[in-house]
Amino acid sequence: MIRARGLGWRYAGRPRPALRDVDLDLDDGACLLVAGPSGSGKSTLALAIAGLVPHEFAGAWSGELVVGGRDVVRTPRIDLAALAGIVFQESSAQLVMELVEDDVAFGLENRGWERAAMRRRVAGALAEAGIAGAARRRGVTLSGGEQQRLALAGVLAPLPRLLVLDEPTSNLDPAGGAAFYERLARLREGPDPPTIVLIEHRVDLALPLADRLLALDAEGRPLAAGPARATFAAGAERLAAAGIWTPGEAGRRAAWPGPEGAPVGEEGVPLVAATGLGHRYGDGPPALTGVSLEIRAGERVALVGANGSGKSTLARLVAGLLAASQGTVRLDGNDPARLPAARLARRAGYVFQDPAVQFLSSRVGDELRVGLRTSAERARADDLLAALDLARPDLADASPYTLSGGEQRRLSVACALVRDPAILVLDEPTYGQDRAHFEVLVRLLRERVAAGTALLAATHDLLFAGEVTGRAIGLRAGRIDFDGPTAALLSDGARRAELALT
Amino acid sequence: MAVAALAAARPTDPSEASLLGRTSPLVKLVVATAWLIGMALTLDPGPPAVLAAMALLAGPAFGAVRTRRIVAWMAPLWVAALGLGLFNALFAAANADPAAVEAFRLGPVRVTGPALAAGLALGLRVLAIASVSGLFVLTTSPTRLADALVQQAHFSPRFAYGALAAYQAVPRLADDLADLRAARRVRGLRGGWHPRIFLGLLVLAIRHADRLALAMDARAFGTGPRSAYRPIHAGWRDAAVLAAGLGLPALTLVTGGTLGP
Repeated sequence: MIRARGLGWRYAGRPRPALRDVDLDLDDGACLLVAGPSGSGKSTLALAIAGLVPHEFAGAWSGELVVGGRDVVRTPRIDLAALAGIVFQESSAQLVMELVEDDVAFGLENRGWERAAMRRRVAGALAEAGIAGAARRRGVTLSGGEQQRLALAGVLAPLPRLLVLDEPTSNLDPAGGAAFYERLARLREGPDPPTIVLIEHRVDLALPLADRLLALDAEGRPLAAGPARATFAAGAERLAAAGIWTPGEAGRRAAWPGPEGAPVGEEGVPLVAATGLGHRYGDGPPALTGVSLEIRAGERVALVGANGSGKSTLARLVAGLLAASQGTVRLDGNDPARLPAARLARRAGYVFQDPAVQFLSSRVGDELRVGLRTSAERARADDLLAALDLARPDLADASPYTLSGGEQRRLSVACALVRDPAILVLDEPTYGQDRAHFEVLVRLLRERVAAGTALLAATHDLLFAGEVTGRAIGLRAGRIDFDGPTAALLSDGARRAELALT
Repeated sequence: MAVAALAAARPTDPSEASLLGRTSPLVKLVVATAWLIGMALTLDPGPPAVLAAMALLAGPAFGAVRTRRIVAWMAPLWVAALGLGLFNALFAAANADPAAVEAFRLGPVRVTGPALAAGLALGLRVLAIASVSGLFVLTTSPTRLADALVQQAHFSPRFAYGALAAYQAVPRLADDLADLRAARRVRGLRGGWHPRIFLGLLVLAIRHADRLALAMDARAFGTGPRSAYRPIHAGWRDAAVLAAGLGLPALTLVTGGTLGP
């Protein structure tokens, strides 16, 4: 189905190629797993196989790529589009039409299908993706997991011979990710299954499907290729060193016991105290109901639960970014939503899921200094920038928006730490981070905890929860369902299932 | 289960099951435009009053729009119309003209007949514009409008469906805006509307549009002739709405004109 020889691509205006010297052979109906650190050209390869590179992008192509017997460079895009479908990472950026069934039909309309055939096929594709009941709903009212299966239905509808999936589950809670993979597994049970190219950093989810593995290094070069399991087994250390997650690793890593002499006391005034805390957005249903909890200075807490269970809402209420519509929350004895901004910033730092919302300056070099008044604060800003490898002269004048995903995340964490807050609140801090960036983030947060900063991290990433936090609070439909040691939650399969964490 | 199936089968937009809901959005657009142009040609308070009344009655009668929804949507515009009319009646230059007939006195303010008529005409115009556009919006789903623009008015699909996709990203933009403002606050900067917030919003919107465009292209958008999942055929409904929409106001005004003083 796919044959590549010496494939390479450099985006216009970039000094280095995104992808180079890739050789690849994939049989009809097989499943290829593509792995690599961020910036390794995984997405570029996916776009090329789907026929979007070079047709929709400017840049320099080299080598040869043949998909379904057609040379990608010479074939008109309409013929390539008939062959391959691609699902992207962000579910909401794939919704075109308002109603679910219309959205599935969109790709068929573009190919000029007859109306009766469209009606039959839309129903079929919705069933294959496991969202048949949602045909008449508005796409924006679906959960993230449902939206991603809607995207799958839309791509499956024209019966592509090749399915390209670019980190399709990284926005989903673990249960939503598992449901997505269950649908993929069923697709492969059919008599004439489509060929699948899968980019996924949650290797344990993807491995049961994968026949072949292609690992890329940070320069966009092939690092290893071959049968998936055998290649992982033979080169585990080398792949791990290149920043690639390897199978079974998540289960092997032990929970971090915490800093020595961790200042988690039972006595004293709690740093955060919530009583009967609840919130609803506008006149919608309650997002959070009756939450009472205390967090002590220096404590490190994971906030877990399904998409929409109220994690972000609780995190925002604690950090004073949202005023509670019910109950009270106190941060260091004050109502955080009423604290003047300058005083709030010394008590709470907040790291947003999307780092781009956080940047306030046009230069990386100035970003941390925004709003700082004392020279001690500025000195700390410079130290932080250096500690996070962001003080390089080539970065100082760059716009924060042009940084790579890993650099943006480090800069956004630095923004939250620059005033040395008593508590650092993080929303999905490991989202979009490869293995190397994960390690850097974990090390940085452990240092902060050792220095006495409390952590509250809303996360789907159980590996991260085990590596950094000691206590886990599980939310279910806006209420606290679990509150105890992180290690106890991780080892309790039934409880994890209840919280959509398996 | 049965309840879920029923809920799933119910049209998302109740207007789909009504006469006006099924009328081509283009026909409605033509009628509404004709109404508003006709109204602009006269200074008489009669036509706007007739149009506003027709639009408000047509919603529940032919559009399956609940009265509560109309009120929720239009109440602010009604208040604006009332305020504008009152303001113009109270502060019109005609009030200072000693020759003008006094209609009534509000404390020290003398309100004359011509001023009252001008205020009434203005208020009624705003009311009519609000009611007619409200009727169009409340009986037209964005998808049908895009379909009609492409199928009947031969707009470029890239424009019509691109706009539809962008329209769906509006709630997301509101979330982004809230995030950008929260991010300033938690970094110790005062609230308000710093220009930087709009730059951030622009960056996020462009990034989102970029991704959306790529996803649309990946689904063969713009590669060849399209077919329609929801074809829009001109039918008796369109003819009836067009005839009634253009004929009724004309008839009312003509008879009103001949029977009037």
